[in-house]
Order: sequence, then C-alpha cells, then structure tokens
Amino acid sequence: MAFGGIDVGSVNTSVVIFEDARILSHLIVSSGELDSEPRRAMEKALEAAGLDWGELATVVATGRGRSGVDFAQKWSSEVVCQARGAIWLFHTARTVINLGAESSRVISLNEYGKVQSFATNDKCAAGSGLFFESMSYLMEVPVAEMGQLALEAETAEEVSSRCAVFAESEVISHIHRGVAKERILAGLHRAVADRILDLVSQVTIYRDIVLTGGVARNPALVKELEERLGFAVCLPPEPQIVGALGAALLAGKKSG
Amino acid sequence: MIESLGRLRKDRHDEARAWKERMGKKVIGVFCCDVPEELIYAAGMLPVRILGEHEEASEGNLHFPTNVCPYPTSCLDQALKGRYDYLDGVIVPNVCDMIRAMHGAWKLNTAIPNVYFLEVPQRISNHGVEFFRENLARFQRSLEEISGNSISSESLKQAIDVYNRNRDLLHRAYEMRRKGLVSGVELQEMVLSSMLIPKEEHNRLMDQCLEEAGQRHPAGDGVRLFISASMLDDTDFLQLIEDCGGWVIADDMPMGSRYFFYSVDNEAEPLEALAKRYLARIPCPRKMLPQARFEYVEETLAGAEVQGVIIHNLKACDCHLYEYPYLKEMFEARGLPVLFFRGEETEAELETQRDDIEAFIEVLRG
Repeated sequence: MAFGGIDVGSVNTSVVIFEDARILSHLIVSSGELDSEPRRAMEKALEAAGLDWGELATVVATGRGRSGVDFAQKWSSEVVCQARGAIWLFHTARTVINLGAESSRVISLNEYGKVQSFATNDKCAAGSGLFFESMSYLMEVPVAEMGQLALEAETAEEVSSRCAVFAESEVISHIHRGVAKERILAGLHRAVADRILDLVSQVTIYRDIVLTGGVARNPALVKELEERLGFAVCLPPEPQIVGALGAALLAGKKSG
Repeated sequence: MIESLGRLRKDRHDEARAWKERMGKKVIGVFCCDVPEELIYAAGMLPVRILGEHEEASEGNLHFPTNVCPYPTSCLDQALKGRYDYLDGVIVPNVCDMIRAMHGAWKLNTAIPNVYFLEVPQRISNHGVEFFRENLARFQRSLEEISGNSISSESLKQAIDVYNRNRDLLHRAYEMRRKGLVSGVELQEMVLSSMLIPKEEHNRLMDQCLEEAGQRHPAGDGVRLFISASMLDDTDFLQLIEDCGGWVIADDMPMGSRYFFYSVDNEAEPLEALAKRYLARIPCPRKMLPQARFEYVEETLAGAEVQGVIIHNLKACDCHLYEYPYLKEMFEARGLPVLFFRGEETEAELETQRDDIEAFIEVLRG
C-alpha cells in the first residue's frame, strides 16, 4: 500500500506519495483555495504515481493549513514532519534549518533522530521566502535568479539592517547611488544569513545540518550560511518536499 | 460554579461599579503583586487588579513607543478608553521602569484621583523589610485619608486572616490542579477573580469551587507542563495550551503561584509581617537575587513529573528576560525541553503560538 504526505504551506502545497521505501511521485503547487486545492494536488500526485485513491492507505497532513485537509487521517506539526523527512534523506542529520515562505525554523535532533528542541522566527520576515519576493520586486530580478546573480559579485554592499522594512529602504538608497545589483544582492544574502544564524543560535546544533524549504534553492544563501558555519550543509534534491515526505513517512508508520 | 468564574473577569468593570454603588465605598486599582492589598481592604475599600486586554492599544500607543513591555501600555490604554473611570485611586508600586511610568501616565492623562506611588525595595534583606515597613506605615495613613476610615490593628489582622484564607484556598486548588481535578485555565480564573472581587466573597466562591472539583474524576492524559510567565492577564494562552493537549500542572506566574504562595504571619506585628511576606514571597525578577524564585521552581519540579516547560515573557520585559537564560539552563540541566515565547498582548499572536505549542506537545508525546 502507498502512503501520502501533504504539506499545506502559506504559499505552496507539496505532496509526496510513498511506497516500499521510495518516493513514487511528488509535486509542488500553489496553495490556493484551502477547500479544494489540497484534494486536487493529492489527485494529481496519485495520477503521477499511477495510483487511485483506493490504493492510498493513509494520509498525513502538515503545514500551516493542515487542519483544512479533511481527507487526512492524521495531522502533524511541521517540526516533526521536517525532522522526519530530513533524517530519512540524510541519516546523519542532527539539525534541520527549514526556510519556508513565511516562517523559518531550526530543529535540533538527538542522536536517535528525535526532535530535541526547536526555534521558530517571530514576526520578523527576514530570512523567509516572502522577504526574497519583496526584494525581487524591488530590484526587478526574478526570485529564482537572485542567488545566482549575487554569486557573481566580487564584493558585497553592506545591508546592515536585518528588518525587511528597513532593508528595503537601504536597498533603495543603494540603487539610487548606482551600486551594482550583484553587490546589493550579495549584501542582502549576507544580512539574511546573519538573521538565520540568530535563530540557529537559539538551539544547540550539531552536524550534519540539512537545509529545507524553498529558500534552500538559493545558492548564494547556501554559500553564505556555509561560510559562516564553517562547513557544508546537506541539500535535499527537492528541498520543498521534505515536510510532505516526513508526513508520508508518518503515514506509513501509522499504518505499519 | 467553577465555570462562572470567567464571567467575573470579563464583567469586572460592571461588577466593581455595582459593588461601589451598593456599598457606597471606594474602589482602588492596584498594579502587580507587590501591593499589600490587606491595607486597602482594612480601610473598607475594594482593591481591584489593573488588567490589560488583548486588543489594539490605540490610545496607549500614543503615549509609549512600541518597543516597551505591552502590558502597562495596554493597562493605560484601558484607562484612556474610560474603562477604569469608576476608580477612586490607583496604587503604582515601584516594580520596573514601565510600571513606574504608570504613575505619571495615569496622573497626567486620566481623571482618576489618588494615584499613589508605593516604593518597594529591590533587595530582600532585613534593611529592606525595615524600609518597606516604614513605607507601608505611610501608605496606611494615605489610605486612611482616601477612605476616611482609620485602620486599627484589629481590622488589619482581620484583613490578613481573610487574605490568608484566600491564599490557602487557592493553594488547595493549585494542588488539585496537579491531580487533574482543576485545569490550568480554571486555576487562573480563580486567581484572576480573586484579584477583582471582595476577598471574603471570593472565599465563599472558592469553598464551593473546591467542593465541586473534589467530586470530579481526575483528567490525566495531557502532556504535563510547567509554565513560567512574566504576565498573563487573561486565560487565552493557557486555553491555547490546553486545547493543544497540554496539562499545566505547576507554574511560576504573577497571576498564579506568585500571587498566593506563602501566608502573612498573623501572630507578628501586622505591618512588619506584611512587609516580610510581600518581599520574600516567590519574588518577581524585579527583585535582586533570584535564588528564592529558582528555589521555588526547583522544589515544584521535584516529584511533579513535568515533561516540558513553556516560558512566556512579554517582549521587552527586561527583568524576566535577564533571568531567562538561567531559568532555561536550570530546566535543560534536568533534561526538560523548553519552549519560549515573546508575548505581545495581541489577538494575532495566538495563532502563531498555536503552531509552536502543537509541535512542542507532539514532540513531547514522542
């Protein structure tokens, strides 16, 4: 039997269909209407896996919108699902840094892979996907290209503020002074990495560190984080589906 | 009976106004746990605790920046919106920078008379007790002037008796909570209502509540939690914890154990006994040397089978934040996971807190 995991985030929903220790299908769609979109996403994922609803033993939902998933049999927190997904992908994982659209969190695992402690960002948007979206609009650089462009800078223009609102006014003044976009972007990534490391400092962390969530796709941010940490982080091939994968693994555990 | 306690808090202004009209006596607002309410009671007045609200402090924010503790701002906001216009006085103890600022803020911006500043020493020592006793003697004379009644030694002793009995009843409810007979929200409603209505009336209510609780079957499948907080002036946060499957079995909160633990020695000279009790009770972090508070926490944890700790500090409450790392270290040394919140007195925060509390409880359940 197959198991489903669905992670309904504030911007994207991801689904994983899992069977016999392998991922049969996965997809990422916009979260959209909570009433209909999760079900539609699950149907698409089932179709991609060549299965129908009847072949799905259990579904576990996670993410901020999880309570709206009426076809799930169990609802689990993002902390638990991110941890479970990360440890399945990287058996040596002891820390998960999850950078989502609205929230960022750091999860510390013990030597058995159980969650030991975690910290979530407060209201601050810095480090989240929405921060990058607002900067992307401001700098007229698509989100997907921001990281690559930042890597092209030889030096970074300082963006001292870690607050999304103040960073915006700083960036505008840099633009007006004619500073190259690459340099501003490099500075922005540095500031964001600092903010994430503030959060990291709230829990005791051990290696290896797994980076998950959409922001993990940004190569400049990964580089900044690695430079500050002093070692390489583990990057899942699909960082956005780790929560859904963890949910699917929980579904398997529940049934098994 | 227990279920009706929440109404006393929600309708507190109407209740106080009705009491005032019925009794023809004065109502005095009180900030924090450092004001010996017994003196106000002995002067024939009703002490009521000043509480904030989970609502936009549209008026309060005009007077204070947003990077300060939101609780005093919220209290001032309530006063500026006219919700405390029935008060005949307000006692502001020297607790912390923001509460101290309430003295000037209420005096200058509200029409409430008799805004009184009560100096409370920072140090818990013999000199501190002596100093506080002298202040309480001055405080007594002021209360006599405000009320028009003199406070005799007998009336003060009688007030101490009534208050000690209330402490004892709340303490029994605290023990019943640990046994699963009273919920965390219920205990907090008991404590909050105790701060708002005449104590002898509350004692009668508490007798009935304890009898009711004693007949219940113990609840007991929740995750056993210890809660430490700087200021939770309503039950929303504890309700959230209980909705997520948590079971508050012990606490270190001003609207909890810190209010009613330890009685006043009614064999000793009343003012000195009051000075001693109010200085040496489980101290808020605004007092020097946190050992007494930490010792209370240690003692409470022993044998309580606590599974995790939730700490809720209002943002910018420097006193609590200063002690937080030590407290966290103490819990973690015992292998207890800690979840920390920086609270803001807003409705919106509760939803984001729910996410973390659900995760924390799921992790603790294993």
